[in-house]
Formats: sequence, C-alpha cells, structure tokens
Amino acid sequence: MLRTFYFIVGALLIAILLVGCKAAPPGKGETAVMSWAKHKVFVGNKAQKNPLKDDAAGVAGGKEAFTHYCVACHGLDGQNTGVPFADRMSPPVPSLAGKDIQSYTDGQLKWIIDYGIWPSGMPGSKKTLSDDEIWSIVLYLRHLPPAGSLGEPEMYTH
Amino acid sequence: MKLKLSPPSIFAAILVAALLLIQNSPGQHSPRRIAVIAKRFQFEPAAITLKKGEPVVLVLTSVDVPHGIRFRELGVEGKVGKGGTTEIAITPDRTGTFVGHCSVFCGSGHGEMTLTLHVVE
Repeated sequence: MLRTFYFIVGALLIAILLVGCKAAPPGKGETAVMSWAKHKVFVGNKAQKNPLKDDAAGVAGGKEAFTHYCVACHGLDGQNTGVPFADRMSPPVPSLAGKDIQSYTDGQLKWIIDYGIWPSGMPGSKKTLSDDEIWSIVLYLRHLPPAGSLGEPEMYTH
Repeated sequence: MKLKLSPPSIFAAILVAALLLIQNSPGQHSPRRIAVIAKRFQFEPAAITLKKGEPVVLVLTSVDVPHGIRFRELGVEGKVGKGGTTEIAITPDRTGTFVGHCSVFCGSGHGEMTLTLHVVE
C-alpha cells in the first residue's frame, strides 16, 4: 500500500518536473491574462515622468545606450530584427514598437528596465545602466525607427 | 652705432611688445588641470569641487577598458579609449551639484560609475 503511494507521488513529481521544463509558447488566453496583470498589477512606477527632454539629442543618447546590450535580444530597432532566437523564447521577445509595450507609461518602462520581468527572459538592469541611461532608453523606445531600417546587430552578422 | 627708425623696425617693435603683453596679461592663465582616473567601476577622485566660471580641464585617463563621462546638465561629454587619455574642458556656468555618469558601457557596474562636481561661488 505504502509502496503504491510512493510510486504515485514519485510519478506525479516527475510529471510536474517534465511539464515545468517544457517551454511551449503561451496561448492567447494566458498572454491576455499576463498582459493585463503586468500592466495593472505587477509593473509599478506608473506615475513617474521621464525627466529628460524629448528632443533629437535625447533620442540619440537613448539609441546609443540601447546599443550597449539591449540589442542582443531586441535588435537595433527594438523590433527583434536579426535576433535569431526572438521567436523561440517563451514568451517570445516582444516587438517594443507593439501596442502591448507602448501602452506602458514611461515610469513603467523605466521600472521594467530596472527590475526586469519575471519569468520572461527580460533581466533587470538597475546599476548595470545608470538612471540617466535608462530614461534615455525610454525616450528611444517612444521614437523607434521603422522595423529593419537599422539592419542587424553586428554580433549576429559574422 | 646710430639707431635707425624705419617703418619695418617700428612694426616689429610693436609686434614684440604686443606679444609680451598678451603673455603677461593676468586674464590669460591656462586653465587648472585636474587628473581623473577612470577604471571599472569608479572615477578617482569620485568628487571634485570647482568654482563657477572657472575654466578647468579634466585630464581623464583610463587604466583598463574604454570609458566616458557625461554631465548632461552641463552639456559636457568626453570619451577615452582603452588605456588612453583625453582632455575635457569645463567652465561651469552655475552653482550646484552635478553627477556625471560613465557614458561608454564598461560592464556590470557601469551604471554606478559616477563623478560628482560640486560647483561653488
């Protein structure tokens, strides 16, 4: 009797581990629920305004900061151009020009870059990038160029 | 020997006098030079006190990877290559505390690499 119980518990644990390791793309329902939860609950700092001036120099600075290492996952254009694994992650790397990202407030975008989004692949960059750089990246995100217009990141072209 | 005052010699004398005057003029001192070392992930010194309106030159030397410094509020920026030196001229036009950040990505602590300028009257 006890042996059967241990067998069932063991089988369940193995099944849970196997399911947990599976990185299937999230369904539409799961995506919608998570998107709502992130926008409304999990991602803070909704009210903070970007202290940087929204001008050409500010955007250029943000573009430069973005190329430090954001490009590895998001491409030069923030729309995954040339990123070979963007569609194979779970969830896939989103286009930063898309409505789901652009509907965050500036403060929320800063929060996401600061702390990352768990359990997606987005890491937090607080202390790795300065506040000044992160705000400039937020500025760049609001002025992304057309998809593909900047080519592919150098790291993927040779 | 009799000194002859020809127009070319008068012109030369005026020129020499003008050059001497310019060299000795009190307003023409060369700006103060301040050595700053940049290394992962700090500037040494980490803080400098300047006088408003005083021209200075930051002599920025990297002892490891490429670095940079940007004081956005003062419109000042400079970059230095690996192991190199660059000079950055600053004449602060207002008092206050200004925090400059490394402007060339240099690794995991890059975001905390700052140089503070205290500008006083």
